[in-house]
Amino acid sequence: MNYPIWYVPTFGGGLLIALVAIVHVFVSHFAVGGGLYLVMAERKALHEQNSSILDFVKKHTKFFLLLTMVFGGLTGVAIWFVISLIHPAATSLLIHTFVFGWAAEWVFFLVEIVALFIYFYTFGRMDDRTHQTIGWIYFGAAWMSLFLINGIIDFMLTPGSWLTNHDFWSGFFNPTFWPSLFFRSFMSFMLAGCYGFLTATFLDDEQARHKMIRYSGRWALVSLVLSVPAGWWYISALPDKARSLVGGASPTIARAATVAAFSLAALAAVVITMILLNPKKARTRVLTVIVMIAAMGYMGAFEWTREAARRPYVINEVMYSNGILQKDVERINQEGFLKNAKWVQNKEVTQVNQLEAGRELFLHQCFACHTVGGFNNDIVVRTKNMSYGAMQKYLATIHEKRYFMPPFVGNEAEMKALAAYLTAGLNKKPLTDDAATAGDRGKKLFEDNCAACHGVEVLKPEVADWSKEKIRTALDKLPTLNPAMPDYNAPAADKDAIAGYLHSLNNPGTAKEPGATLFEDNCAPCHGFDVLRPKVSSWSKTKIRTALDKLSALNPAMPDYTGSATEKDALADYMVKQAGGEK
Amino acid sequence: MNPASLIPTADTLAAHWGWFQFLLMLTFPLHLFAMNAMLGTALTSFLCYLRPDRSCHDLSHELAKALPFLVAFTVNLGVAPLLFVNVLYGHLLYSSTVLMGLFWLAVIPILITAYYLAYFYDFRFKKLGNSGMYAVLVVLLLLMTVGFIFSNNMTMMITPASWVRWFSTPGGTLLNLADPTLIARYLHMMTGSLAVGGLFVAIYSSTVLKHNIAVAETGRKMGMQLFTWLTALQVLVGTWFLLTLPVEVMKRFMGNDKLDTGLLAAGILLAVGTLIAGYQRKVVAATWLTVPLVYVMSFMRDSVRNGYLTPYFDVTKVPSSVQWSPLIFFFVTLVLGIVVIVWMLSRLKYIKKAS
Ligand code: HEC
Ligand code: HEC
Repeated sequence: MNYPIWYVPTFGGGLLIALVAIVHVFVSHFAVGGGLYLVMAERKALHEQNSSILDFVKKHTKFFLLLTMVFGGLTGVAIWFVISLIHPAATSLLIHTFVFGWAAEWVFFLVEIVALFIYFYTFGRMDDRTHQTIGWIYFGAAWMSLFLINGIIDFMLTPGSWLTNHDFWSGFFNPTFWPSLFFRSFMSFMLAGCYGFLTATFLDDEQARHKMIRYSGRWALVSLVLSVPAGWWYISALPDKARSLVGGASPTIARAATVAAFSLAALAAVVITMILLNPKKARTRVLTVIVMIAAMGYMGAFEWTREAARRPYVINEVMYSNGILQKDVERINQEGFLKNAKWVQNKEVTQVNQLEAGRELFLHQCFACHTVGGFNNDIVVRTKNMSYGAMQKYLATIHEKRYFMPPFVGNEAEMKALAAYLTAGLNKKPLTDDAATAGDRGKKLFEDNCAACHGVEVLKPEVADWSKEKIRTALDKLPTLNPAMPDYNAPAADKDAIAGYLHSLNNPGTAKEPGATLFEDNCAPCHGFDVLRPKVSSWSKTKIRTALDKLSALNPAMPDYTGSATEKDALADYMVKQAGGEK
Repeated sequence: MNPASLIPTADTLAAHWGWFQFLLMLTFPLHLFAMNAMLGTALTSFLCYLRPDRSCHDLSHELAKALPFLVAFTVNLGVAPLLFVNVLYGHLLYSSTVLMGLFWLAVIPILITAYYLAYFYDFRFKKLGNSGMYAVLVVLLLLMTVGFIFSNNMTMMITPASWVRWFSTPGGTLLNLADPTLIARYLHMMTGSLAVGGLFVAIYSSTVLKHNIAVAETGRKMGMQLFTWLTALQVLVGTWFLLTLPVEVMKRFMGNDKLDTGLLAAGILLAVGTLIAGYQRKVVAATWLTVPLVYVMSFMRDSVRNGYLTPYFDVTKVPSSVQWSPLIFFFVTLVLGIVVIVWMLSRLKYIKKAS
C-alpha cells in the first residue's frame, strides 16, 4: 500500500524470487564450503607432496573464481534487486533494521574477493604457508558472510524477542539462528564435497583419483550425516503455526518437500557409501551425478520449506506478504484501506467506482500471491465457483480459515468492492447480494437475459409440466424452440441456475435449497461439486454425513466444517441429491 | 493527482542520518573510481586495436588482464553506496525501481554477460586475434548500458511528478526519457568516467607495467590523451548539464546557496588544473587534482538531489531510533577488514616470478 506494484497480470513476482534465490543459494553455499575444501585439499596435497592433487586443487580454484565470484556475487546483488522490486516494504524494513549487519557483510565480501584473487593468481608462486593462510582468510570471510546473512534470513522467519524490544541483536540471534547456521554450514561443506567427488572422477592419475574420490566422498558423507540432525533441530525450532504449515496443513506441498528433503539426503548418503566402499565405481560418473543432484534437491527442498513456512508473512508476525504491517490491520479496518494507501486512485468506494476500487484492492492485497490469468495460482480459476455473496463471507474470515493467506484489510464497503471485482469483474458473475441461493441467482439471470422479451408470467404456464432437466436442455438450444430466440451462451452453472428458477415457478419449495448455499459458502472456494461427484457418488448418506464431522480426516488440506448439526444435515441432503440420489 | 501523495513513508533510521550520509559520500566516489577505471580500461584496450604497432597490442593485452578485476571491484564497491542510498532514500528508490522494473532487472543479466565476456576476452586474448576488438567493445557497450539504466533510476527517484505514469503503465516498462536532464546527465557522467578512466590507464601503465618500457610509455600517452581531450569536452557537456537543471536547482550553484556555489567554483578550478596537468602529461599532478575533483562532483550530485527533493522530502526529518553497538560492530569489522586486505596485498611482494 505504501509502494507501487510491479503489475504484469499473468506473471507473479514470487516465482522470480524463488528462481533467483534458489540459484544464489546453491552458488553461495558452494562458495563457503568450497573455500574450506580448497584449503584442506591443498593442505593434503602439500603434506603428501602430491603434484597431481595440487593441480586438481588449482583447477578447482579457477572454476571457483568464475562461478562463485562472478555468478555468486552477481546473483547476490540480483536477489537484492528482485526483492526490492517485489517486496519493497519488507526490503526497506530489513535494510533499516540490519543496515550495519549488511554493511559488515559487504566488508567480508570485499575481503573474500581480494583473498580469492590472490589465492588463484599466486598458486604455486607463493610460499606454502602464506598461500594457505590466504586460503583460510578466503574461507573465513565467506563463512562470515554466511553467518551475517543467516541472521537476517532467519529473522524473517522467527523474529523472536525483537518483536517486543526491537533490538538489533535480538533480531539477529533469533530462535532459528543457531540451528540454521549449523545446517547451512554442513550443507555448504556437503555441496563442496559432492562437487569434488564429481570432478575427482576426471583425474587421470589413477592413484590420485582414488585418493580424491575417497577424500571428497568422506567429506560429503560426514557433512551430510551431520546436516540431518541440524535440519531436524531447525524444524523443531520453528513456531507452531509455521511448523504446521511445514507439516502439511497448507494445500501447498510443504510436507511433501520435507519428505523429499530427507529422502534425497538418504539417497545421497547411500550412493556415497556405495562408492566409498568401492572407489572404482565412481568411474561410472552417473553415480556421482546422482549424488550431486540428490544433494542439491535436498537443499532446495529445504529452502522451499523455509519459504513456505513463512506464509502469509514476509516477516513473520510483522509484515504480510502484501506489505501490510500486522500492527496496522486494526486501525486500517476502522479507517479504510484505500484512504491509507498511497498508490491508489480511488480513495473511497462509491457506486460508480466499485469495480475499479476492487481492482486496486486486489492489486495491493492479493496480487502478491495470485496471478490474473497466469499459470501460477490464478485468481480467476480460484474464484470461479464463488458467487458475490459467498465471496464476501469468504473474505471476512479468509485468514482464520486459510492461515497461509493474510486477512482482508479494510472496511465493509471495501470488502464488497473486492468481492465485486473478483466475481463480477473477473468472472462475469451477477452482483446480487443474496445471489448465493440458487433460486435468486436464477431469477436475476433470467431478468438480465430473458425478461427483455418475455416476462415470467408468459413462461410460467409454458413450462408447467416440464422437468428441470428438460428446461435445462432447452437452454442449450433456444433457437430450436423458437427461431426468434438467440442462443444463450453462458456457463453451465448459470444455465443450471435459470433452469432451477424456472422450474421453481411451478414447483415452489424446490428452489431454495439451504444445502446449496452452505456448499457454495463453505466448500466451493476449494472445489466445485463436479470434483467431488466421482468420489462421493458411491457413498451412502450416512457416510457423507459422518464425513462432514471430520473433513480434515478425509484430506489434511481441508479445514473441519464448523456448521451446526442442522446445517450439516442440510448439506448432506444437498450432496446426496447432487451425487445422484439416496443409496 | 498530487505526486507528493505517492511518496511512501520512510522507515526509521538505525543511527543519526549523518552517519549514513557520511558513509554514502565516503564510499560512492570509491565506486566511481573503480567504475571509471573499468570503462577507461575497456575503451583503451579497444582503441589499441586501431593502432597496429606492437606496444599497443601488448598494452591491450595487459589491460585485458586487468579488466575482470576492475569489474569485480566496481560491483563490490557499488554495493556499499547502494546500501546507504537504500537507507536514506529507499522509499524513493524502490518506487522508481518498480516503475522501471524490467529494465532494472535487466542490469543483472547484462552485468553477468559483460563480466564473463571480460574473462573470456582475458583468457582467450591471443586466440581471439583481431576479433578481440569486438569482444571488448561489446563489454564496454554493455557496461555503459548499465550506467544508462542507473541514470534513469537515479533521476526518476527524485522526480515524483513522473511517477503518476504508473497508473497507466504498471508493467515496469517506464524509463525517465522525458526528463530534459537525463541525456545531459548521462553524457556528463560517461565523459567524466572515461576521462578519469584514461588517467587510470596512464597511472597503471607507469606503475604496474613499468617493467616493459615501450608498453608503459604507450599506455601513459594514450591514457593522458584520453584524459585531456575528454576533460576538455567535459567543459561543454558539464555546462550543458548545468543549464538543463531546473532553475531553482541551478541557482543553488549560482549564488543562492553559498556552499553549493563554492563547490562549483572549486570544481571549475580543479578541472582547469587537471586540464593543464593533462596537457603537460603530468600523471601525478593530474591524479592529485582528480581525486578531490571526483569528491567535489559527488557532493554536487548530492546537492542536485537535495534540490530536486526540497518540495517533497527532507532526509534530516526522518525519525531515528539509535542503537550504537551495531554501528560500532561495523566500524570494527571495516578496520579489521582493511588490515587483513593490506596484509594480504603486502604478501604480493614476495611472490616468485611467473613460472
Ligand atoms: C501469502 C500469499 C497469498 C495472498 C496474499 C493471498 N492468497 Fe489466496 N491463496 C494463496 C494460496 C497459496 C492458495 C491456495 C493454493 C492451493 O490450494 O494450493 C490460495 C487460494 C485462494 C483461493 C481459493 C480457495 C482456497 O481457500 O483455497 C481464493 C478464493 C483466494 N486464494 C483468494 C484470495 C484473495 C481474495 C486474496 C486477497 C485478499 C488472497 N487470496 C491473497 C495464497 C495467497
Ligand atoms: C480449504 C479448501 C477446502 C475446503 C474449504 C473444503 N475442502 Fe473438501 N477437499 C479439499 C481438497 C484439497 C480435497 C482433495 C481434492 C482432491 O483429491 O482432488 C478435498 C476433498 C474433498 C472430498 C473428497 C475426499 C476424498 O476422499 O478424496 C470431500 C467429500 C470433500 N472435500 C468435502 C468437502 C465439503 C463438504 C466441504 C465444505 C463443508 C469441503 N470439502 C471444504 C479442500 C477443501
